[in-house]
Amino acid sequence: MNKTARKHDSAVLVDEGYWSSVSQAIQQEAVRLLEQGAVAGVVGYIAGRRTGTAMPVVAATPDEARQLIFSPACVNNLALYFTKAKKEVSSKGKLAIVAKGCDLRALAGLMGESQLKREDVYIIGIACAGVYGAHADRSQPLCDATIARKCRECTVHEPTGADAVAGTLPALQKLEPLEAQELARLEAMTPQERWAFWKEHFSRCIRCLACRQVCPFCFCEQCLCDRNRPQSVETTPRPAGNTAWHIVRAMHLAGRCGGCAECERVCPMDIPLNLLNRKMAKELKELYDYEAGLTPQEKGPLTEYKEDDDESFIK
Amino acid sequence: MHVDKVKHDFEPKIVALVCTWCTYAGADLAGTSRMQYPPNVRVVKFPCTGRIDPVFILRAFQKGADGVLVSGCHPGDCHYMAGNFHARRRFAAFRKLLEFVGVDLSRLQFSWVSAAEGGKWVEMVTELTERVRQLGPLTEFRELELAEQWSGSTLTTPELKEAYQAI
Ligand code: SF4
Ligand code: SF4
Ligand code: SF4
Repeated sequence: MNKTARKHDSAVLVDEGYWSSVSQAIQQEAVRLLEQGAVAGVVGYIAGRRTGTAMPVVAATPDEARQLIFSPACVNNLALYFTKAKKEVSSKGKLAIVAKGCDLRALAGLMGESQLKREDVYIIGIACAGVYGAHADRSQPLCDATIARKCRECTVHEPTGADAVAGTLPALQKLEPLEAQELARLEAMTPQERWAFWKEHFSRCIRCLACRQVCPFCFCEQCLCDRNRPQSVETTPRPAGNTAWHIVRAMHLAGRCGGCAECERVCPMDIPLNLLNRKMAKELKELYDYEAGLTPQEKGPLTEYKEDDDESFIK
Repeated sequence: MHVDKVKHDFEPKIVALVCTWCTYAGADLAGTSRMQYPPNVRVVKFPCTGRIDPVFILRAFQKGADGVLVSGCHPGDCHYMAGNFHARRRFAAFRKLLEFVGVDLSRLQFSWVSAAEGGKWVEMVTELTERVRQLGPLTEFRELELAEQWSGSTLTTPELKEAYQAI
């Protein structure tokens, strides 16, 4: 065994057998559903053309279903395929979906917002060990260096409320919570330092809006940020409009964001968007004891109220 | 009441976003009762505090406000039953977000002012104006407004500055 291989071995978080057993379980379930005609298709992942990649697919025949996989490259949040933005998918009839714990939260959120009915979807949950981060070296297995930041402190490895669960969770190592540390670092800064931090990040934004397109909760047919009459948010990539865009995005997702971190993953400018999401989730939990997407709830923290809500900030 | 006019170097621009049923009527009462308050405030009225989108506050700061006041009916008095209850949660969350981005929250004031509280309106506006006067102009958003990232350097031509001052 050469040196590099040994180095990887010691850092590997889960062994190969786990991935293939999850893949097999997904295939079995998908084939069964399609053969019985219980669903019109299964939204899942197949291997991409390059090694270490995967891509979303809607498998409509048992043969296609036999191609389905689960690997650390299965990063996409497939809940996106059930939103208004993807009408062509949901119009096919009842679908099954392969969902990691964090993606399940998006499904629960969509149900809470009347975008999806529970009876219209069959959920194949995954006992999830984690996926690759945005810049992971995909020739390596899932290890400390390649795992996504969100997975380091995941609370939903075991799916709840799914119709079927694929795989069993291997023993997982405790990893350093990088995101929580970064959040604490920011919170300890002075307002001026925080302003400088975000100013630098926001000024790099090129307004490609990938973060919006990939988010399951950004399903508005007309986005406030695209309107120019009246214009609330400047649409060109200048620092002023960028700052407004990011504040509006974080505000619109407050209490709704399921924390899949897809927005941050797709950002070509490496803007730490999930820090904003996490901060808002944390504040809403503190203020209104609400956590998004664990179970479908009829009302979010910002669409309901209590008469005795805190108003110490109001004079 | 007689108030001595004092000329200050810096006159803060205060934008007040108010609900038409309570605070606007309260401000009107202050006016008809001939109460004096700083002329720095520009009032924008809305049908309800529930209609005041956080983006309006942002827009005010971006367009040159040094301070923003948001005011509506006391809880329980909303013309639309629950508009201000919803607004209360939304603004509580929005304040946390602004704080996290690094905005000084002492420039943003929320209050309940009823149609009968002309005096409270005067107090609110005076207090906020004086507080913002002490803090000085809000430069952060102004700098963003002037910044032109993709031209490679910051554009600070006299023309641009003048155009900005004219807003
Ligand atoms: S956050 Fe949890 S459920 Fe989501 S991909 Fe990572 S380990 Fe899996
Ligand atoms: S805001 Fe980002 S992390 Fe939250 S649900 Fe949308 S894509 Fe996922
Ligand atoms: S994906 Fe990144 S660069 Fe693109 S609009 Fe979102 S934050 Fe800006």
